[in-house]
This record gives sequence, structure tokens and C-alpha cells, in this order.
Amino acid sequence: MLNYNSPINETKDFNNLKMSEESPIMKLVIRGKKREFISKVGKLLNILLPNEPNTSTVGNNISALWLSPDEWMIHSNDKIDKNNNMYPIEEDLINNIHKINLGAITDVTDQFTMIKMEGSQIYELFSNSCPFNFNDFKKKKGAVTQTIINKIDVIIHNKEINVVNLLVRRSFSSHLWSWLNDGAKRI
Amino acid sequence: MFIINCPYCGEREQSEFKAGGEAHIVRPKQPTELSDDEWAEYLFMRKNIKGVQFERWVHIHGCRKWFNMVRDTSNDQIHAVYKMGEKPPVK
Repeated sequence: MLNYNSPINETKDFNNLKMSEESPIMKLVIRGKKREFISKVGKLLNILLPNEPNTSTVGNNISALWLSPDEWMIHSNDKIDKNNNMYPIEEDLINNIHKINLGAITDVTDQFTMIKMEGSQIYELFSNSCPFNFNDFKKKKGAVTQTIINKIDVIIHNKEINVVNLLVRRSFSSHLWSWLNDGAKRI
Repeated sequence: MFIINCPYCGEREQSEFKAGGEAHIVRPKQPTELSDDEWAEYLFMRKNIKGVQFERWVHIHGCRKWFNMVRDTSNDQIHAVYKMGEKPPVK
């Protein structure tokens, strides 16, 4: 993990809405098209990559989010060691997939910021500036979507009912955090 | 504003997408044998029909995949959406 100061270093508690940054969390983007790639990742990580669009699978230590037909995001469920820059999972994937040109592994740990949101007002807040229809999404545990909130690209993972992981690029995280705080005061 | 049915992600709002111009333009097999006018025709000239048009679109704020769309430019009615490499379902 790189040595940087996160712009979000506070926990906010509003009426029926709690927000905080989850850090440090390991995040990898893996890409591959072949069937062999999917089975090999499954064996290495002991997790089945979600085939169905807009879904996720949660394992003991890691979760896999569907991003596109040949792209997934893998993230650790628990916080990792802040001083470590290489992860055993990443090394396994690089040695067994990347080095034999079966797929691509990219470490995005420091590229994405994960904001954990809890409460019943999450989707009320998102709906202020998001074109996505959350009616079915909010009822489906494990649903994933990539969309825009206040014109910022985000990945939304409906981890549990009324518990959401919001992934945003680090350079936009401060702006989005300010917008979320501002919006949450008004709901 | 209209809803586009992304062939990978499902129904999403138009603001998540970006238009990529006319679809099904085939690159000439022997570009060196073309005249400047023919090359310019391939490179720059695009149709701008008021009516049904075949277009390329990309789900830029979603799965980032390109696909084709048959759209009536006069009323934004979408007649078909199909993946890259597939033949257009309507003529």
C-alpha cells in the first residue's frame, strides 16, 4: 500500500445513515475471456467468479464483483496490513495467470476508495443525482452496478440489505464525500 | 433522455452511454490503392439521416463495452440493440 493520506478520515452519522471509509482494503481488477481463466481463478481463490451481470460472490476472505463480461474486481473482506505492498493472492494470480498470458491482473488498491454506508436512507441519497433505477437493486443482496453519482463514476455493491460498499476513484473521493455529506444533511 | 438496453448490463439511462458514430463502416482492404477522395470518403464522410440510423454506442460509465444500435434520430425510438460483430437484426 502506498503512503498517502486519505481525504476521508472521519465517520459521519446522520439520521438513518452512517458513512465511513473502509481502509486499507486490497483491490484487484482481473480480466480474461477464456474458460480456463475462470476455472483457474476459481481454484486459486476458492471462489466462483460471478457470470451473471450485476452480481457478486462473497467468499471467506475475498469478494468478487462483476464489472463486465470479461472483467471482475476482487477485494478483501477484511482490512489488510497497511505497510504491505504485495498480497499473496495477487502473487498467485500473477504467477499462474498473468505470466502465461491467460489474463490480466491489475492492483487497484490505491486507485479506488471504498466507502461503507449503512442505513435506510442510502438510496434516497443516491437518487438525488444518480440515473440508475434502484427499485430492484436495493432488495437484491449482492447486487453490483457501475453508474454515475453526481457525474462521478462509481461501483455500488449492495453487500447486505441497507449496507452498501461504494467504490470511487481516489481522485474523486474527496469531492464525492463532500457531496454525500451535503446531501445526507437534507434527507 | 431515453433508456438504452445495454446488451451486457440491461436497461440504463442514456447519460451512462456515449455515441460513437455510424456503424458498419468497413475498412478498405487495400488502402494504398485508393485515391485521396476515396480515402477521405472512408475516413471522414458520415451519414446524418433524419430517420432510422445504424450507430455504435459505448456504455462508458458502466461495463465499457461497445455495441450497435438501430435508432430513429427523429424521435429517439430504439428499434434494436445488438453486440459488436453481430449482423443487424432489422433492415
